[in-house]
Amino acid sequence: MLSEDQINEIIKAIKDVSGYDFSEYSPRSFQRRIDKIIEDYRFDYKSLLKKIEKKEPEFYEKLVADITVNTTELFRNPPVWHSVKYRILPKLMENEKVDIWHAGCSTGQEVYSMIILLNELGMLDRVNIYASDLNTTALAQAEKGKYIYRFNIEYLQNFDEVIRKNPYNFEEYNDVPYSKYFDIDQVKDKILIKDFLRNKAIFKKHDIVKRENIFHKKFDLIMCRNVLIYFNLSLQSKVLNFFYDNLKFPGYLVLGYHESILGNEAIKFHKKHYYYTKKLI
Amino acid sequence: MANKYVVIGGSAGSFQTVLKLLEELPKNYPYPVFLVLHRLKNVRSGFIEALSIKSKLKLIEPADKDPIEAGKVYLAPANYHMYIQFDNTFSLSTEETINHSRPAIDITFSSLAFSYTNKVVGVLLSGANKDGSLGLKDISTNGGITVVQDPNEAQIQTMPQAALDIIDVDKILSAEEIINFVTKLHLRYD
Repeated sequence: MLSEDQINEIIKAIKDVSGYDFSEYSPRSFQRRIDKIIEDYRFDYKSLLKKIEKKEPEFYEKLVADITVNTTELFRNPPVWHSVKYRILPKLMENEKVDIWHAGCSTGQEVYSMIILLNELGMLDRVNIYASDLNTTALAQAEKGKYIYRFNIEYLQNFDEVIRKNPYNFEEYNDVPYSKYFDIDQVKDKILIKDFLRNKAIFKKHDIVKRENIFHKKFDLIMCRNVLIYFNLSLQSKVLNFFYDNLKFPGYLVLGYHESILGNEAIKFHKKHYYYTKKLI
Repeated sequence: MANKYVVIGGSAGSFQTVLKLLEELPKNYPYPVFLVLHRLKNVRSGFIEALSIKSKLKLIEPADKDPIEAGKVYLAPANYHMYIQFDNTFSLSTEETINHSRPAIDITFSSLAFSYTNKVVGVLLSGANKDGSLGLKDISTNGGITVVQDPNEAQIQTMPQAALDIIDVDKILSAEEIINFVTKLHLRYD
């Protein structure tokens, strides 16, 4: 395991060559990521540092992609999606235009979950969907909407919970077939998102740490799930402020299942069920 | 800051022991207690309620960056790894499973070992995989106290045995002795 000084040297080297700034990441999990990379790449501290200092974009882009975590699911945590379906989207239904941003969209499962839900609610035409991530490999996969079936099959259960069932009325069951949204090829172990869904979102590379609004829009809803957990409290505050400034009013923010807003930013948002709303202050 | 950080890792065959321990832990227990228990991936609710029934201490599934308080029991949330940082806060992560587990016992054990060195008391219970032994080794190396359930007595011995294979632990105890040891820890050390 690397020492804190060694970790800081690596953070500094990455920043110098690439501009990516990991200095305000959560120290313990960041340290573990670097340890894992050293093991996976069969490097040691010195060889990793040297390789970074060679300034090869191909290398440092891969390094940054491997540092960041890309876990995502279709309709992750159905209760959160019930909030989106029954509490957030109905309030936006009257709007002529709705802008939604998936900040840190990873391989895109969450983006497609949203598009499917919007389609079921008959809102898809009026919604602009923007999605961004730091990791270009994950983004490329998000744009393709093609996944390994066996890794995603269990999440079809989430689909049932959110799209087919109604938690407020157990007698309701909408038998929406999977084939409406997915092409599933079990032999090739592939699950492909249907074309009409894939052309909907605008995917762009974006490092949220830099806090730039690359879409030049204000948003009705920002989805940012399990991204802030990798940041320390100070960086979390800055990003939450940035979200606050880029939300419309009313505006909605959805974080990960075990994320909450702490510190000074807590007064800028109302917490309701599994989401936050922008407060006017 | 607490004087001790008690962390318990368990998998298959550990649930009854944990339940009993929670029942026995006294109301004014002076340390924070961390539980990292493997559970089925899609069992997201009901687990903490089941554990809470007889506990005198408050059971919490922490959110990211929540502060740690003595006298509370913290359960690693489903599908998250739980790190303990040296500013006395939690840090959660959704990175890859380790030994097919998220939460992984190794992650919480190791992060506590590096954050709170000789203040850590690590307990590894029954289980069917090898999670926890590397983390317990870190606790041992950093001067903490290591306790492993006697494999002969554990419902499933794989997990405690894996730890005994690589660490010279401080105590090998039966489930009952472990409960006794943890609940009376403050009488012994403070």
